Amino acid sequence: MISKSRLREVKKSLDPLIAFQYIFSYFYLILFLLLPIATIIRQAFLYNGAFSLHWFQKVFSDPDFFSLSPRGGMFFELHGDTMYIWGIDHGYILNSLIVAATVTISASIIGVIAALIIARYDFPGKNVFRILILIPMLATPFVNAYVIGKFFQPRGGLLNFIFYDVLHILPWRIDVNGLAGIALAQTLAFYPIVYLNVLASLMTMDPTMEEQAESLGAGGFKLFRTITLPLSMPGLAAGATIVFIFSLEDLGAPIGFIGYSGNPLARRVMSVYVFDDFAAAVTGAISPITSAIAVILVTFAVTGFLAIKKYVTLKTYATLSKGGRWKPRTRKLGFKGMALVYPFFILLILSASIPQIGVVILALTDWAISGLAPKSITFEYISRLFTDPNVVRAISNSLLYSGAAVLLAVILGSCSTYVIARSKLPGTDALDSLLTMPIAVPGIVVAVGYFLFFTGFFRGTILDPLVDPALLLIFAYSVRRLPFTARSVFAGLQGVHESLEEVATTLGATRFKSFFDIVIPLIAANVIGGGILTFVYSMSEVSTSVTLGALREDRGPITFYISQVIYGTAAVGTVSVAAALCLLLITVQVIALAVSNYILKQRVAFLGI
Amino acid sequence: MVKVSLRNITKRFGKVVAADHITLDIQDGEFFTFLGPSGCGKTTTLRLIAGLEVPDEGRVYFDDVDVTDWPSYRRGVGMVFQNYALWPHMTVFDNVAYGLKIRKVPQSEIKSKVKEVLELVRLEGLENRYPHQLSGGQQQRVALARALVVEPKLLLLDEPLSNLDAKLRIEMREELKELQKRLGITTIYVTHDQEEAMVLSDRIAIMNNGRVEQVGTPQEVYRRPSNLFVATFIGRTSVLEGVVTAIGDFVEVKISDIKVKGVAINEVSVGDKVYVVLRPHDFSTRKEEEEVNIFEGVVEWMAFTGGLLEARIGISGGKILVTLDDEVPASMGKKLRVFVPWRNVIILKA
Ligand SMILES: Nc1ncnc2c1ncn2[C@@H]1O[C@H](COP(=O)(O)OP(=O)(O)OP(=O)(O)O)[C@@H](O)[C@H]1O
Ligand SMILES: [Mg+2]
Repeated sequence: MISKSRLREVKKSLDPLIAFQYIFSYFYLILFLLLPIATIIRQAFLYNGAFSLHWFQKVFSDPDFFSLSPRGGMFFELHGDTMYIWGIDHGYILNSLIVAATVTISASIIGVIAALIIARYDFPGKNVFRILILIPMLATPFVNAYVIGKFFQPRGGLLNFIFYDVLHILPWRIDVNGLAGIALAQTLAFYPIVYLNVLASLMTMDPTMEEQAESLGAGGFKLFRTITLPLSMPGLAAGATIVFIFSLEDLGAPIGFIGYSGNPLARRVMSVYVFDDFAAAVTGAISPITSAIAVILVTFAVTGFLAIKKYVTLKTYATLSKGGRWKPRTRKLGFKGMALVYPFFILLILSASIPQIGVVILALTDWAISGLAPKSITFEYISRLFTDPNVVRAISNSLLYSGAAVLLAVILGSCSTYVIARSKLPGTDALDSLLTMPIAVPGIVVAVGYFLFFTGFFRGTILDPLVDPALLLIFAYSVRRLPFTARSVFAGLQGVHESLEEVATTLGATRFKSFFDIVIPLIAANVIGGGILTFVYSMSEVSTSVTLGALREDRGPITFYISQVIYGTAAVGTVSVAAALCLLLITVQVIALAVSNYILKQRVAFLGI
Repeated sequence: MVKVSLRNITKRFGKVVAADHITLDIQDGEFFTFLGPSGCGKTTTLRLIAGLEVPDEGRVYFDDVDVTDWPSYRRGVGMVFQNYALWPHMTVFDNVAYGLKIRKVPQSEIKSKVKEVLELVRLEGLENRYPHQLSGGQQQRVALARALVVEPKLLLLDEPLSNLDAKLRIEMREELKELQKRLGITTIYVTHDQEEAMVLSDRIAIMNNGRVEQVGTPQEVYRRPSNLFVATFIGRTSVLEGVVTAIGDFVEVKISDIKVKGVAINEVSVGDKVYVVLRPHDFSTRKEEEEVNIFEGVVEWMAFTGGLLEARIGISGGKILVTLDDEVPASMGKKLRVFVPWRNVIILKA
């Protein structure tokens, strides 16, 4: 029962500013997040106008989607002089889950080891490793898998050439492709997420906990198993879950492999199924099967999110990101330790940076057409960024959408976090969850949801993606990348003591006035910092860009253009131009992170991207 | 200026009752203090008056106008927060001028008013500094100037001196009192420092666990505390337990084998169990005619503090703390006889 005093409290909270912010936040998130997803769910459960599990039954009884027995594929099979590592086909659904589980486990192992070493040991060059280990986070959509493919190609691939043809270390040529290739590419791309989350946990851990245990005689692995690991569990759980979700929804790696080799197994994951069906949507409809697949995707993702929710809400994030309350407990590494640690990091960083290194080489040389190794340096592809009208249009589209999305995310982020931080209205906890949830909603699901919802209810209007997807892309970016801004702003608000506003109200300022005179100036750095991250990750957004963006070629953003090149459905350019675009994205990202790190003095808000 | 009335004001935070049916009147121009231990609800009460919290029950009146539902910005109070709450992104001038700008006072008038109030709190010349460039005492005065410049009907001060060092605290306390008298502004002050409350206030409300235990002048709460909490919270005390034996102009109490005469604060009758509250400063070694209010016992502990002798004496009904002239011949382990005038002995119903 709501008590009278609670009602009074609510009444007091409801001054015009808060009321507007509250309504606006919910309106926006319901319209651009919840309703589209609800539309997918509706379609997936509707058969002949009635509620039914028909589509799910259909999906799960079709071995093409779900098959416990293998349906082909090659996993460590030797044919001639080549070892084929492609993976075994169990249908779209199981394939996706197997890949995601593999990626999660391997990324977790790598991430935890790296985080433990960085958090607990001192050795020369540590700070260099700390930076280099993040290289995989630099966006190289689609081209990453292309480059990995190019390295692993049985004939003409650099790795096979060096280790088989020249050095004769390998007994056979190795062909990593298909599902295994996807898993490898994703592991190398996503382990930093686990690493960063675990590192954050380790850094905020009270060192006396470990000291206490040591004084009681626990050492080495026992200490790790009984104290360190349990205490870093929040970071590991959050990081691993996010990796799982990212792997499920990833389009970049599969499309990259399809693009460079046409490998049939690379097609056999849920995200590609939805993507392919979306391509047919230009004619106006998305099949209920696709909706069912989207519902399955979103179920896994949201279940994962709910499991880690308490670690990723704004409130936890704000305390975690402060970090460094303790002086972390580090120890000098001995020679034996260094003999293990250096090879580990060098191998990890080298292999994980293959996509980024490859992108740079592709963009700046003739590698795309020269075969094994590049022969000459050229700025031709870079110059195409400014001269090729299609490329220029893609860039300006991306800039426009991302800029507009930042604006919306900043307004929405400030409004909603202010309501959460300051009001006692019911529904603020739900709002907190809604703000963080976009992390967990696969972009491809957002795309399907937008398509169904806005073609269904706004047919023929400016919001209809078949008329013009531009606005929807902006809304999609703003919602998908909202967590970056929301977290940053919320952390800022926590640093503004409420009395600073209260004293203004005793002096006669309404909340509206004190919000703009006091709060906004004091959180400006956080707003800008969050906005920058939202911008960067909007520029490199893949899922909705290559789906909604495909509905009208002239509206496609950068990542759509890259996908076109790699996927090869349209002969619009060469992979080198795609690489040049990736280089542009990387440059924007590096500059933005440097600005937010060194100028705004913010700890990079990577945590649980 | 304004008269403030609280009627049955109650505020709960979950299970904690931060303000518990508080009813009192604060007179026009009065310097009124809420005094009590940490967490007793002083700040909450002040915030209820300022309109920063909504009461669960009860009403707040300014000059008999019900302002309970008025938002803070309509109430016209000036408030100084415990942490000063100066805006870090504004200069001293901008901090002080803010309330005037809100009121759309013309620019030239703002300048002169800010100058005037900064002179009043002796901060001339610091207009262009930022808060972090000021000392604690200066920050406190900026906060005060910011509250005063809008000529509020009511000034609310939440432990404004608690962050200052001891010497500055005493200086500022005198300045504050003088300023308040000069401006004649109704002032509500919150502190947990009883000495500060005594020196500054016209009247004090002693709070405990959200309740107002007693309201009175400093003299009254010291000499006539209405219960044991107030008696022990204000000033230092020794408390003995006894039984009432006779009632007349005064009350006679027997504490084991000692007979004590004193003043009863509440209604007592013969045979009642009572507390006898004794203040260390009221004791002397002067011989007395009557055979009452004489305590004799062994000195268990003693110390000299600036011209005075403090001693703890074990008597048959307990222990008492006394403060005597340091000429008194006393030594550890030896017997000492002390006397206390009956008008100073406080007797409270147990
Ligand atoms: N916003 C709040 N939410 C929950 N509990 C609160 C809140 N504000 C105060 N309280 C509780 O109400 C009680 C009274 O708090 P209040 O701040 O009024 O005490 P105080 O007398 O000012 O103490 P101090 O001398 O330490 O400043 C305390 O138990 C406190 O924990
Ligand atoms: Mg207080």
